Amino acid sequence: MAALAALLPKPVYETVISDDEEDIVRPSAPAQQQIISTRIPVPPYGQRRGWKPTRPEDYGDGGAYPECHVAQYPLEMGRKKASSGNTLALQVDSEGNIRYDAIAHQGQRPDKLIQSQFKDLVPLLHRKDLEDSDRLMERPSEEEVQATADKTRAALEKLVNGKIKAAQPKNVPDSQGKTSFIRYTPGQQNGDGLKQRIIKMSEIVEDPLEPPRFKHKKIPRGPPSPPPPVLRSPPRKATAAEQKEWMIPPCISNWKNNKGFTIPLDKRLAADGRGLQDVHINDNFAKFSEALFVADRHAREEVRQRSLMQQKLMQKEKASKEENLRMLAQRAREERGGVAPKPTAQGQAAMKASLANYGSDSDSDSDSNDSAEDEDARRIRDEMRQEKRREREREMRMNNMGAEQRAKQLARQQNRDISEKVALGLAKPTLSKESMLDSRLFNQESLSGSFADDDTYNLYDKPLFHGSTAAAAIYKARGNISEGNDDSFGGGTDEGIGKALDNDRFGLGQVRVGFEGANEQEVREGPVQFEKDTGDVFGLNQFLDEAKTGKKRGLDTVAGGSRKRQQLEKVSERE
Amino acid sequence: MSAAALPPLEPLFNINGKRTRSVFASCPDAGFKDEEKSARLRLAVKIHDEYRDFKELPSALLSQQAHVGPSRPKEQRKLITAGASADAETSRMIAKIDNTPVSQPSTFMSSSKLSQALTLHKTTRTVKPTYHPPWKLARVISGHLGWVRSVAVEPGNKWFATGAGDRVIKIWDLASGELKLSLTGHISTVRGLAVSPRHPYLFSCGEDKMVKCWDLEANKVIRHYHGHLSGVYSLSLHPTLDVLVTAGRDASARVWDMRTKAQIHVLSGHTGTVADVKCQESDPQVITGSMDSTVRLWDLAAGKTMVTLTHHKKSIRSLAIHPTEYSFASGSAGGNNIKKWKCPEGTFVFNFSGHNAIINTLSVNAEGVFFSGGDNGTLTLWDYNTGTPFQNMDDIPQPGSLEAEAGVFCSTFDMTGTRLITGGADKTIKVYAEQSQ
Repeated sequence: MAALAALLPKPVYETVISDDEEDIVRPSAPAQQQIISTRIPVPPYGQRRGWKPTRPEDYGDGGAYPECHVAQYPLEMGRKKASSGNTLALQVDSEGNIRYDAIAHQGQRPDKLIQSQFKDLVPLLHRKDLEDSDRLMERPSEEEVQATADKTRAALEKLVNGKIKAAQPKNVPDSQGKTSFIRYTPGQQNGDGLKQRIIKMSEIVEDPLEPPRFKHKKIPRGPPSPPPPVLRSPPRKATAAEQKEWMIPPCISNWKNNKGFTIPLDKRLAADGRGLQDVHINDNFAKFSEALFVADRHAREEVRQRSLMQQKLMQKEKASKEENLRMLAQRAREERGGVAPKPTAQGQAAMKASLANYGSDSDSDSDSNDSAEDEDARRIRDEMRQEKRREREREMRMNNMGAEQRAKQLARQQNRDISEKVALGLAKPTLSKESMLDSRLFNQESLSGSFADDDTYNLYDKPLFHGSTAAAAIYKARGNISEGNDDSFGGGTDEGIGKALDNDRFGLGQVRVGFEGANEQEVREGPVQFEKDTGDVFGLNQFLDEAKTGKKRGLDTVAGGSRKRQQLEKVSERE
Repeated sequence: MSAAALPPLEPLFNINGKRTRSVFASCPDAGFKDEEKSARLRLAVKIHDEYRDFKELPSALLSQQAHVGPSRPKEQRKLITAGASADAETSRMIAKIDNTPVSQPSTFMSSSKLSQALTLHKTTRTVKPTYHPPWKLARVISGHLGWVRSVAVEPGNKWFATGAGDRVIKIWDLASGELKLSLTGHISTVRGLAVSPRHPYLFSCGEDKMVKCWDLEANKVIRHYHGHLSGVYSLSLHPTLDVLVTAGRDASARVWDMRTKAQIHVLSGHTGTVADVKCQESDPQVITGSMDSTVRLWDLAAGKTMVTLTHHKKSIRSLAIHPTEYSFASGSAGGNNIKKWKCPEGTFVFNFSGHNAIINTLSVNAEGVFFSGGDNGTLTLWDYNTGTPFQNMDDIPQPGSLEAEAGVFCSTFDMTGTRLITGGADKTIKVYAEQSQ
């Protein structure tokens, strides 16, 4: 290259271009150091292939190079801010040690102390990077404290004043409002009219309570300061034993199982906590029941004793009463007999004897002095007894009767039993099976007729008993001549009626006697004629008259007295 | 006979030689010493033969070790290995022979020998715990009808106030334990109480979303701080400013201007219920502990988080700020659940280890007695400076309460630091006292 340069003639015009440019653009150009220019070498137009303008100086004062197909940022226009990258420059301290804690300091305030190194974990006495003076923990002196206090107070007062001012209403408007007068001279003098005007300017009085017209938008908070480096070890993983200790068993309820899980029986039993608590029953329960038992037994014993005592007392009382009665009876008997009371010992014996045959020996005893009336009374009594006994027996029989028998009895009482009548031939029971059926229901024309038409309403257009049935024979309306029964009432004619009246249907012959007193009646001609009865038919007037007089109805002496008396009368009648 | 009685000479010589050596070893002599050169040679050979592979850690381990692992600066190496003088000499000799390059400490870590790191742990600079007399239950006050959820002592140390699940705030005489006053007004559990040291005000907050300011001269509610979206679980007063910070179930802490009732800041950033909030006079002026198991330290002036502490594994229910030391403690559930932090940057100091329970409450007094009360009724008293527990107790529920009602919900030391007042699930307030000898 040098040889070639030597061969070539020297250029006539020296280009005022620095060697750098020559290096880039014309590497073949000889390296000449004569003129050193501070200009940034920009290749001339047409030779910019492969050249990339990167620095702002490359553009001079101009714009982008259209022939360079790279991203260009003349005057740094459009270039992204490069400073917000996450990468940090590697920093070293004076010893050449890498400062790894630079990342912890990044983004923090410069005055913030950040503990991020191992030395911050070392106890103060073990730290070798500190002097003894650093280990002293002397409180600051009075002056320092005062200085701190003053500084802080100043800062805080500023804040407080600001807050108070913010809280107070700032500019309370004047009630009148400020007015100012302005002399206004119009610029265009149109000749006529006003040359000058005086304008009164006053501020609008604002309502101090008017809500703000513009909405305050809250500015979102800035990002928080980056978190401090953590100087503790991470929490340890829980061991299996610890996990087991923290295991809380799922709640199993005996009442709810919304998901419908299948719960083993032992879990279910464990759920109610029966096994967990040992049942402790208070001793007092046992004492209480024991006391109750004792008291119960005691009470029973007492009751038994009392009843025993009562029984004994009753017995004694009864005995004494009997004794007394006996004594009384004895005395009465003796009095009746006119015998003076006997001396005690003999009297007792007599009493005993009399008691032994108290009921049976009475008549023998009193035979001599009983009167005839006594006899009568006794007989009546006996008869009554007999009657009673018979009645009782009958009742007993009735009671002992079987159901069938009793039904029969009942039927007989109600006159529905025809068995005797059958036996007598007065009634004849139906024998054939057919006759059990009601022949009246046979061969009904209505039924035999067709069911054809629904609209034909022929259910009741025929008489119920019609035709050659038994019903026709049973029931025959006789009175209805109009209905076509011509036989009734003798055909309606006089002789017919007379004939019918004279008709001896049952062959009894002509009436000879007739009803008693009917002979005196005049022979009636024509129909019976009634005349109104004005007399007191039911005795109502008489009754009312009686009621007016106030006579009592129940006091009639005719109605019998007591039942016994009636009986006596009856008996006497019978005799 | 005498010849027979004499002992054999060999052991006698040995004994004699040993004794002589021990007598003269203390005052060394040139002739007595081993020749240094030969000793060095021997050591060098031995090191080369036996420890050649172990002079340096494997590269993999070394790279791990470079940034992590507490180790000690160079000048403390002597302190660690300080033992017998002969050992020191040997080590010095080793150091001379050993030409392994000592790596320079970086800002992170350096001094990368595992052996050193290991020995370091064993021989940490141990601070001896200070003695604290044991504490004993001094008084049980029963008067509330619900869980006692909050307690606060008046700055004058005359009385204290408790708030409970029965929605009542009760004020008790501290000396006699007599009920002085009952304040009603909350319609749900009272979860936080504070008495202002600069005003005659009592502040209370509850699960009814209400924060109330009671005037103690009239015993009436004079202000409401309205704004919480859910129950308010904790409340704290700023010691120097007229500012009140409440925190609750809406995962935010709110800063209120005491007089104007204006809400100055909403400290948002927690992702869970904020269970406790504490204020102090210098930065960080607000500290919150949350159920998202983080503690946040807040810049009160800006209303922004300064530091987030993510060391806890479970939700943090309680915080305690030491009155005189520039540090605080946070308590959560699980192991290593109480952590002490250094202010202002929230550097981890150490764990109070040994109280395995859900920590409901923490308290610390100026003498460095640190109290933690658990949800299961376990109480532990610690030395705050070293984190050593010096007393373990169990809360005894009052008779008639269930076994599960042995829990401590709130606690505070009185202003002198000699009484500890706790409120529990058995509806009682218990006062513990230091046993003086």
